[in-house]
Amino acid sequence: MTVVMAGFVDFHIAHKIDVFTGAPQEGSAVDYGTLGITFGARRPHATEDWHSELKALNCEIPENQS
Amino acid sequence: MNPKKNQIKAIGLDINELRSAVQFEYEGVALNPDQGFHFHTGRKLARIVGYQAHWLEGIPESAIESFAGTGNPFSLGELSPGENVVDVGSGSGLDSLIAAQMTEPDGQVIGVDMTPAMLEKARQSAKEAYLDNVSFRQGFGEELPVEDGWADVVISNGVLNLMPDKITGLQEMARVLKPEGRLQIGDILVQKEVPNDAKENIELWSG
Repeated sequence: MTVVMAGFVDFHIAHKIDVFTGAPQEGSAVDYGTLGITFGARRPHATEDWHSELKALNCEIPENQS
Repeated sequence: MNPKKNQIKAIGLDINELRSAVQFEYEGVALNPDQGFHFHTGRKLARIVGYQAHWLEGIPESAIESFAGTGNPFSLGELSPGENVVDVGSGSGLDSLIAAQMTEPDGQVIGVDMTPAMLEKARQSAKEAYLDNVSFRQGFGEELPVEDGWADVVISNGVLNLMPDKITGLQEMARVLKPEGRLQIGDILVQKEVPNDAKENIELWSG
């Protein structure tokens, strides 16, 4: 949701990978079940596209980005 | 929108103290990449996140050994010749150099990082790789030293989670992108609730 709020559309997570288990000083990241991820999104050409995406998420349009 | 006007916010943290701690940690990754961290580094990590061997061909070992990403921005699609790219938190420069190889000769890559030791390493690696379509600038993710609407693609790898103000960091990425520009990001996903006292612990942010 944060990515969309910042001005993007088509947010998607492509991959999740365990990148912390077995690290030399493995610690809290593993304790919290932290995974490495890769995500993508797109800056829309039209502001209306972004507003539609926000609406789909049931988000209000930020005041400084109308 | 003007994200630079937004006040940087983080839960009960001193922003400068947090940035100093992160810089200290990643200066260690730059200068002593084999000392062992709470994350994997180097070629081993590149294999874990699925970097293809031919992407690393021609890249100096100094850039690879200090690689500390958490994902694979290029797995969302390789970059095309002629595209302009911003690499947010470019570190030792591995992703910037891969991007420079993919986009040359006409594409330009700007790597942005706040840690001088990483910038020095990245610049030296670019010189050793004879890549003249990549440059590195010192700056913060929340205040990218790049003009509006310059980039076709913004990449970043393992950096957004270290930014005190993630919404401003993402807004900056949107600002420097052209309309229809792409975001290709490696980051982290925390699957368990992190208590507030842990969020306020700078040691957990940086190492």
